[in-house]
Amino acid sequence: MLFKRNKIPVPDGVVVDKDSFSELDKVVYPVVIKAQVFLGGRGKSGFIQFANNRSEAVEKVNELIGKKYGPYLIEKVLIERKIDIQEEFYIAALIDRIEHKPLLMVSNEGGIDIEEVARKSPEKIKKYYFNPGEKIFEYQAKIISGEVKFQGELFSELANVIFNLYNLFINFDCKLVEINPLGITKDRKVVALDAKVDLDEDAMFRHPELKEMGIVARNEIGELTEREKRAKAAGIPYADVDPEGDIGVFPGGAGFGIAALDLITHYGGRPANFMDSGGAPTQEKLKSMLGLLMDNPKVKVIFGARFGGISRCDDWARAVVQYVIENKPQKPMIMRMAGNMEEEGRKIFEKAKNEHPELFKNIKVYAYDTPIEDVIQETVRVAKGIQ
Amino acid sequence: MAILIDQNTKVIIQGITGANAALHTKFMLEYGTKIVGGVTPGKGGLKVEGVPVYDTVEQCLKEHPDATVSSVWVPARFAKEAILEAIDAGIKTVVVITEKIPIHDMLYVRAKAKERGVVVIGGNTPGLISPGKCLVGMLPRIAFQSGRIGTVARSGAVTYYIANSLNLAGLGESTSVGLGGDPILGSNFEDILKLFEQDPETDAVVMAGEIGGVYEEIAAAYIKQIKKPVIAYIAGKSAPQGKRLGHAGAIIEGNMGTAQSKIEALKNNGAIIAQTLGEIPRLVKRAIEGNS
Repeated sequence: MLFKRNKIPVPDGVVVDKDSFSELDKVVYPVVIKAQVFLGGRGKSGFIQFANNRSEAVEKVNELIGKKYGPYLIEKVLIERKIDIQEEFYIAALIDRIEHKPLLMVSNEGGIDIEEVARKSPEKIKKYYFNPGEKIFEYQAKIISGEVKFQGELFSELANVIFNLYNLFINFDCKLVEINPLGITKDRKVVALDAKVDLDEDAMFRHPELKEMGIVARNEIGELTEREKRAKAAGIPYADVDPEGDIGVFPGGAGFGIAALDLITHYGGRPANFMDSGGAPTQEKLKSMLGLLMDNPKVKVIFGARFGGISRCDDWARAVVQYVIENKPQKPMIMRMAGNMEEEGRKIFEKAKNEHPELFKNIKVYAYDTPIEDVIQETVRVAKGIQ
Repeated sequence: MAILIDQNTKVIIQGITGANAALHTKFMLEYGTKIVGGVTPGKGGLKVEGVPVYDTVEQCLKEHPDATVSSVWVPARFAKEAILEAIDAGIKTVVVITEKIPIHDMLYVRAKAKERGVVVIGGNTPGLISPGKCLVGMLPRIAFQSGRIGTVARSGAVTYYIANSLNLAGLGESTSVGLGGDPILGSNFEDILKLFEQDPETDAVVMAGEIGGVYEEIAAAYIKQIKKPVIAYIAGKSAPQGKRLGHAGAIIEGNMGTAQSKIEALKNNGAIIAQTLGEIPRLVKRAIEGNS
């Protein structure tokens, strides 16, 4: 859809899921059936199939839907008219994070082995760097088309694909737009047979038109567990780390969230999860974060840490106290709190402890002068039942 | 001396009227940072914590020509404009607190800054501090004390824990810099390492990276040329592969983004590797003693 609108030729096709087999009447056979997943290498693993007629297509679609490719469950397939291809090219625009520049890569040896081409004969993939923020000129696309030895009538057609692809990449804030292969048909027409577009989720605010088209930036890798889905719905970056993990990790930001996993593992503990509060989390978010850990039956103890920077200690303390009063959790919590608004935070805990001594008897909140390693070692001991 | 900021640095705050920016303006002033002006378009004439607010950076600098550092707190969609405005007005160091800035915006800003010789730190940085002299950003002052160790890290809280553990061991920081958590950053590890290498008040550098991205690998090649000891810690050895861990930057990509690839690259180029955060002070002490 994105390609058609941006004048990049694609084969005629329909998308079919388990409830829309009637779409199979609309295509001209023979067809190619492609599993719709966000991973490469489908061709090599049997996730692209062929069918000569409708009944064959029904059989193959039934085979694919419900199957898993890597972590992905296949829910939809794309059915396209089969096109006889004489040659396969490769074109991609992406961000080179080492050079910090947009990069256009073109090769006349595209297809399923492009990664091998890149490894064995990198000179066959031509690279063109662009200055950030600059658009491509038509003459530049023509130069590239010529250098990749596209000749005759193809010269202009391919220059157009290069031009339109780079514009799509820039105009829609993409991290990657890749066509592989770009096929050349018997009658010397070009057609994008397979493509990947990776959008920058942080730039989606300026592309409401994508939302209208039903296109969203995907930001997760791998299939989500039930708890991860619940976290996602609450807007919390969360990952189950170890299904047998007995220490629930309630950190601040992502960086220390990752470091905390290393520390707990280093001291012989088993962290259950990764979590990220983000900068300046709301009380509601903090309470949902705690809820996720408390509801995990494997978790025996919560390790909490707040080093208040933009996320203030008093907000954190208020959220923890409110959660405890509302939910009366039984699991012990071993935590450390330091940084901005620490004093205010400490007063909130002390007041709560005085008013509800029973509720807070298993909750410890260490301060600046206790090293984080000590807090983690105590948490590991509690998880193992060592006093 | 320290790097980038010291007791003489004059600072402006872009987006000063926002709630977080105003609160941290108060904290920075309490710390002793010399904030001379703030900028919020349309709010010129107001005061925040006694700091005069201007409509543009240009107006602000007309009144305060000695300001050289700007800290940017505006929403992500305005960040590119705000940083370019600061660069154009003649600011030398831009500290970008704003997070989730579109990648193409940041690529453009980065190229412009390099062209003009301006240092951009962040986006999504907690800021930087030269303890006892100047704090720009939202780092908690309690985590830092003055000393001779430079620190540079991707994550905010990791920056705080490192300084905290150095302090508990009787060491302190010349300057601590948070690079930021966004995928494209204004400055990388090697940009900051170069500054520490030249700073006469810094004896050793602690750098803390994390899984994802390629900045640690790029820095490794530079570490070979540094004379001062570099103690490196990489977070994420026990993180599950293929799961996104919050930071846009922490996506494990290819071989280059893993903890193992980063640790090996750093080690092979002469960095001293800390296996845990807690090990850092001991390694720092040993390195300084060995070096003197």
